[in-house]
Amino acid sequence: MSVILEVDNLQKSYGGRKVVKGISFDVAQGEVFGILGPNGAGKTTTLEMIETLREIDGGHARINGIDVEKQPQKIRYMIGVQTQSTAFMDKVKLTELLEQQAAAYGERVDTHELLRDVNLDDKADSYIENLSGGQKQRFSIAAALVHNPTVFFMDEPTTGLDPKARRNLWELVQKINQKGKGTTIILTTHYMEEAEVLCDRVAIMDEGKIVAMDTPADLVQKLLKKGFKKARKVEQANLEDVFLNLTGKELGR
Amino acid sequence: MKIFWVVALILVIARIGWRISRLIRKNQPGVRPIKAETNKEPSQHQRNLFTIWVFAKISVRRYFRDRLALFFTVAFPLIFLLVFGSLSKGNSVTFHVGLINQSSSAFSQEFVGDINNSKSFNVDKTVTTLAIAKDKMSKSEIDATIVLPAEFGVPKDSIPSGQAQIYYDENNVQAAQTIGSVVQGQLEGVNTQLVKIKPPFSVKNVETNSGGLSKLDYTVSGLLGFSIIGLGIFGPVNYFPEMKKQGVLRRLHITPLRVWQFFVSSVLSNAVIGLFSIAIMIIVAAALFGFKMVGNYFELAAFITLGILCIFGIGLAIGGWARNERQAAPLANVIVFPMMFLSGTFFPRYAMPVWLQHVSAYLPLTPVIDGIRMIATEGKHLTQIGPQLGWVAVWTIIIYAVAFRVFRWE
Repeated sequence: MSVILEVDNLQKSYGGRKVVKGISFDVAQGEVFGILGPNGAGKTTTLEMIETLREIDGGHARINGIDVEKQPQKIRYMIGVQTQSTAFMDKVKLTELLEQQAAAYGERVDTHELLRDVNLDDKADSYIENLSGGQKQRFSIAAALVHNPTVFFMDEPTTGLDPKARRNLWELVQKINQKGKGTTIILTTHYMEEAEVLCDRVAIMDEGKIVAMDTPADLVQKLLKKGFKKARKVEQANLEDVFLNLTGKELGR
Repeated sequence: MKIFWVVALILVIARIGWRISRLIRKNQPGVRPIKAETNKEPSQHQRNLFTIWVFAKISVRRYFRDRLALFFTVAFPLIFLLVFGSLSKGNSVTFHVGLINQSSSAFSQEFVGDINNSKSFNVDKTVTTLAIAKDKMSKSEIDATIVLPAEFGVPKDSIPSGQAQIYYDENNVQAAQTIGSVVQGQLEGVNTQLVKIKPPFSVKNVETNSGGLSKLDYTVSGLLGFSIIGLGIFGPVNYFPEMKKQGVLRRLHITPLRVWQFFVSSVLSNAVIGLFSIAIMIIVAAALFGFKMVGNYFELAAFITLGILCIFGIGLAIGGWARNERQAAPLANVIVFPMMFLSGTFFPRYAMPVWLQHVSAYLPLTPVIDGIRMIATEGKHLTQIGPQLGWVAVWTIIIYAVAFRVFRWE
């Protein structure tokens, strides 16, 4: 598999304080790559540098061989970024928001088809303020994908969603990753379960550095080899399973 | 009653227009892929235009869905127009006078009736003695007092005669002189009838419709300027920080959208909204206050568009620079309020001291308001308002140079 994103010794500091301390990783075409870490670990800053939003203080980031710092405009056509759901203006219909988003790339798109892809075609004429949290999140994904980006960035996509909406979104992420040519996805998350379900590989960041990077299964294996034992016996089901079982068996909607 | 019909008519037309546009849109196929129309790829130039067009179109639509915005940009300036329009209603000047008749002659009774019916005078009936009159004059409640002495109109040599006296306060010399000549004129008419002599020399006042500017003309063009400020500065100063807070601009920053594309589309939508709001104001001013638009409508629209472009740049610069409302609002107030008062929005500039007129002539809003008045009420053509066009153009270049430099997406 060919490498689509190369990050090489990337650095960022704010007012003398180093936030990202020289991190390096490669992501292959079609991969789902997760960046895990506590708050303040530098995940968001790292993404923002790759997304052309923050100046790069040191090191390089390249997408498909194109340097982010040198040709930001070219990079912008290649990447999609899921933004906060508040980043859409009120009193504008979903179809119009998508039309506008596509127009920013100079494209005209089939807005209804894009809405169908995220199960929102029945909300085509609604305004964003009338959607539920999960619907807003799905809409912001549709908006970020209007121009068929090669690499898709998601910053904590399921934070604030209830478990049902979260599973729903996971399915959507997997669909995007598998659909057509297989969009490469880079996401950050606080939820370990999310990383295990979605990510082919994860990097764990702490204090501006990558402290571990591998497939989720291998990371667990390595830990077990070190002789780690969980204090408590693993339960067959947990509270989340109970919640899901009671509130909605079908996860389609 | 008139205002009711005007408002009703506007509402009905707007409603019908909206219905028709809905019907047309429904009959269109929903999907129109960009490549289906021509088989070749659109050029970068076409893409740029398309981007700007879609952004402008959607923000205009959004504006018409936003009742609060509609109120502040259409109804709010209209309220000012109603207030200031009634203050400066009519073309003729009316003086507030006191009238003290000390004579009992038939002629003086008739003359009092004439004064009371005159359009030039608004007689304060509470003035019965000279003492009251002097008090009221010193407070400028009345402009002057006409006194008809006891012998006024008493026949002498079979012809009634007498001398009317005008009392005035020293702070109201001009008004008293005008009142004096009006009374003089009325008496002269009586004189010629009584003496039956045709005076060899006379003065005749000829009203010129084209050149004469009433106070209303200044009020209307000033309020159009106010409307441009409201939309062009207070608008973006409010919603740009809001869009930054919500991350709307951050989302656009991730796309290849260029700052200039964003600016052009914003200017376009602002011009459409501004022309709509100004058209309503002109209709209301014409229907209620007899405002006469003598210029060419296309030239007026073109000049107003240029004015909106210029003034909106100030809003873009402030809103685009500010990180939040706390930065935007004070800066906007510091810039807008002096400009609003000095450029003749509410008070005509000719009423200011000369040195202040010289200073305020160079503010960006002044040539906009002057140009609007020159086209709308003096019937001038764009070719005749070169200085105004020039100043607006110079300011536009300066303002946008700054706006581009200080713009921040976040």
